[in-house]
Amino acid sequence: MRIVAYGREATIVDQLEFQFTESLINDVRVACHAAGASTNDIIGAARSFVVVHSTQDAATVQRVLFDFFTRRGLSDDDALPIGTTIEIPVRYDGADLDDVAHACGMSIDQVIHLHSNTEYVVEFCGFAPGFAYLRGLPPQLHLPRRASPRTQVPAGSVAIAAHYSAVYPNDSPGGWHLVGTTSLSVWDANQNPPALLQPGTAVRFTVIS
Amino acid sequence: MTVRIEHAGITTVQDRGRVGWAHLGVPTSGAADRASHALANRLVGNSPHAAAFETSGGLIVTALRNLTLVVTGADCDAFVDDTPIRRCVATVVRAGQRVRIDRVRDGMRSYLSVGGGLLGPQLLGSQSHDTLSGIIPLLLAGGIEIGNGPHHGPTTSLDVVMTARRTARLQLQPGPHLELLSPDTRAHISRHSWVVSPLSNRIGIRLTTSSLTVSVAGELPSIPLIRGAVQLTPGGELVVMVADHPTTGGYPVIGVVDSKDVDGLVQLPPGNSVMVDSNF
Repeated sequence: MRIVAYGREATIVDQLEFQFTESLINDVRVACHAAGASTNDIIGAARSFVVVHSTQDAATVQRVLFDFFTRRGLSDDDALPIGTTIEIPVRYDGADLDDVAHACGMSIDQVIHLHSNTEYVVEFCGFAPGFAYLRGLPPQLHLPRRASPRTQVPAGSVAIAAHYSAVYPNDSPGGWHLVGTTSLSVWDANQNPPALLQPGTAVRFTVIS
Repeated sequence: MTVRIEHAGITTVQDRGRVGWAHLGVPTSGAADRASHALANRLVGNSPHAAAFETSGGLIVTALRNLTLVVTGADCDAFVDDTPIRRCVATVVRAGQRVRIDRVRDGMRSYLSVGGGLLGPQLLGSQSHDTLSGIIPLLLAGGIEIGNGPHHGPTTSLDVVMTARRTARLQLQPGPHLELLSPDTRAHISRHSWVVSPLSNRIGIRLTTSSLTVSVAGELPSIPLIRGAVQLTPGGELVVMVADHPTTGGYPVIGVVDSKDVDGLVQLPPGNSVMVDSNF
């Protein structure tokens, strides 16, 4: 783990050995406030997170982060899924299902079986509002992104790439392999919270036939 | 309602953006040149959080009531009916008069604040139009009407126009992936001048240079991005994250530009050159 300045108005903690979740985001925010530093955003990504703060609070935030992580000695056990598991019903009719099966050397049924018999956890959100990177994809399904991204992927597309799965929250361009579709909405800017899948949320895909 | 849009041109409504939602993938958005936006609000007597028009030209609105406005940011051809508006001067407009910002010169973005601030719909606590994520509380178009908040003032006018800052030298703080660059690549970045690409927008300012070959071993895990973060692409371009930048990214972040320099960078028209100052 490393705690370093990320410009004058942010601090990054990267090379984490555990997963950062929504509950840890709240703990860090509370610890910063208790030390008199206010935080604007706390943003998680792959084994890293960033605290955005004012220039004058930089030293305080870095001290709080150092105390927080050395004292707690966190591991992945601290990053257990939060709340109940969200079930996402999927019709496995994705445009890339054939190609995925071929590339992974298995049948379509095997792809569906592997993808749906797995517990996922939201590692972080990025790329687009409500786009959750779901950790837990079985290694047999790990594939690089498509060589050529699609200019338009419909909202509700269930996709895989590298060691992640995801649900596209809105119509957007995208380079992931499309394996299915869901009618469950994962993003609504008029709700609070607007994202169904937040860092740390556990997710399971169920098959609609 | 206070104003009616006759022609939107290249214009969005911007306040200071959405803070606190980045962990869900929501860009901050907000005014691209924060200093010019804040100045427009201050001179017209608004809170710095008030929403204003950010325009690159082609904006025509009709005042539906008497109001006070201020124009700041890039130099522009602005008029009330046929009378030129002086930048940084509080200007009274009567109901029925037309306000135009035809063309933006010597910069990219002008700000038009209205006394009391624009009062349109919000999403996630902000009126800002986010060009990346599609979070658009109000899409400006001919016929759209917008209200304003209570205007208490006082207004201020400046004798000397405060021109929008234009960044000629980017001061870089080291970024999380700087150490992945070879000494040659680091030297190349600060020895050559960089040119603002026409592909620059409210999401990122792209800077190109001649013959920079980049080799960074392997794929990096995505890290959170912040305003001012500078990514080095495999093609050898620098992309500086500005208002509507994505919240995470997988290209190496080699440096971070100070907030004030970001204000000046978004005002540089394509083709302008910048030098990169670093202690790399």
